[in-house]
Amino acid sequence: MKIPRSHFLPRTRNGWTAMIAFLVAMALAQPPIVHGLVNRVEPWILGMPFLFAYLLGAYLVGIAVLIWALRRNV
Amino acid sequence: MEPWVVSTSLIFLYLIATIVIGILANRKGTRSMEDFFLYGRQAGFIVLYLTVVATFHSAFAFLGSGGFFFTHGIGFWMAGTWTVLVGAITYTLGTRIWALGKKFGYITPADLVADFYESEAVRIIVALVSVVFTLIYIQVQAQGLGYILSVATGDRISFELASLILLVVAAAYLMVGGLRAVYWTDVIQGIWMYIAVWAGSLVLTYKLFGGPVELWKRLMAERPDLLSLPGPEGFFTPGIWVGMTIALSFGIIFQPHMMIRYFTAASDRTLKVLGATTPIYLMTLFIPAAFVGLGGALILPDLASPDRVFPELLFQYAPPWLTGLILAGATAAAMSTLDSILHSNMTVLTRDVYQRYIARDRSQGHYLAFGRLVVVALLGVGFYLTVSQLDFLVALVTLSGAGALQLMPAVLGVCYPGRRLHTSKGIIAGILTGLAVLYLTRVAFPQPLGIHEALWSLAANFAVTIVVSRFTRPPSEATVERIHGEVERFVYGDNGGA
Repeated sequence: MKIPRSHFLPRTRNGWTAMIAFLVAMALAQPPIVHGLVNRVEPWILGMPFLFAYLLGAYLVGIAVLIWALRRNV
Repeated sequence: MEPWVVSTSLIFLYLIATIVIGILANRKGTRSMEDFFLYGRQAGFIVLYLTVVATFHSAFAFLGSGGFFFTHGIGFWMAGTWTVLVGAITYTLGTRIWALGKKFGYITPADLVADFYESEAVRIIVALVSVVFTLIYIQVQAQGLGYILSVATGDRISFELASLILLVVAAAYLMVGGLRAVYWTDVIQGIWMYIAVWAGSLVLTYKLFGGPVELWKRLMAERPDLLSLPGPEGFFTPGIWVGMTIALSFGIIFQPHMMIRYFTAASDRTLKVLGATTPIYLMTLFIPAAFVGLGGALILPDLASPDRVFPELLFQYAPPWLTGLILAGATAAAMSTLDSILHSNMTVLTRDVYQRYIARDRSQGHYLAFGRLVVVALLGVGFYLTVSQLDFLVALVTLSGAGALQLMPAVLGVCYPGRRLHTSKGIIAGILTGLAVLYLTRVAFPQPLGIHEALWSLAANFAVTIVVSRFTRPPSEATVERIHGEVERFVYGDNGGA
């Protein structure tokens, strides 16, 4: 069977959406963002320091993307 | 009743329960290699979920992570990153590994790569990397277990005897019930350790601070250095952050005890649901670890060994029954990883070495008997390594996190068809280079430019693999067609996803 295109690149719209959204979520939890812009205690969010709450949010976005991909059968 | 009596009783009750489960698994199972080594490739979602999370989180998650928060502050909350990434890897790569394993009958990671690259040398190197870097983990887990049990008994049972008892129990239920026993005990262990970490952490946080919000406020007032990056000792630099993300996601997934779990799933759908949901468990286990570690930094600032922060707080501030329950949970965390490593090493040595090169075409019962002998041997080696405290092991342990990561180019080359193919010589050169660079950047010249050794070694590995592959003979067209064609059909169907 001929392979039409590399498997590192998605072939569907949902595939592209899931991949880009997940990479963005991961990038939000990586340097330089975490060591610069969000490396702070204030403002407090739900009683948590900002950096902790921010990272929790980024992780939840990543999980949400995976669940979205599952529901769309990506 | 004295606290140590409660703790010890609960731990021994737990150990008896695991033995009983092993016996039940033995009655349920069949006498085939697929059943003993791979759970008959029929693991459903709940069993697979709990065995994956319990195996992923070892004694380190229970004890070491609290120590990291204690010493380096909020930076260790980066652990959430690699847990989410593990979910995505399972979702995309795990399903491909499952599909190829089911189609071609693979049992070990070496089966997968050796078949594609048509090379026995690749098989041997992958098997060696698989065994060497996880053999060290046996020692790490056994040391953790010995420590937990000796602490729980107030040093009435020595560290050495405690390690031996727990190694023997893990080996016993593995030998009796195979992977089925490992999975069933992991179900209990996965539930127990999650409840134990959360319960212990919340009890301590409310008792000592009045709740998590008050804990954060006190940290801000007394130890603000723990609430920002790179932490009090400057540990969490950008290079370390990215490197740990890669090493502790891909690096753990490529260890044989994790990859073999992909082969055991009942369906690809099971693995996709697993990938999408395991990060919830894996990530949220680090929240109570943060409370314990950061709270401990306020309450026990002079603690000599940060890894002891959780048990020390428990013994001083928690009721005995809860301390016992939680230490049994810590035992579960370490044993669920230990039994899986024993199993994977048994499988690799039996399948990739004994069956392949020493005794071909024997009965399934013969290989199962040999596998059990391997477990006994591993038990002996593990115990020796645990009590001998050899200096060179310290260096090896530091290498182990990124060791299995060196299999990444080989596995991706099999599972992700592309225009350029890796070759067997490219893979071998890449792995050997990666391991050499790993040693240099971890031991000889630690983390040059503040960049984690995982990144240095992986970059060198990929570069050498690609360059050497350009000038050496690729796998035959028939093999590429057979394996990459199967991946293409599995992912996109016969019409290429159009």
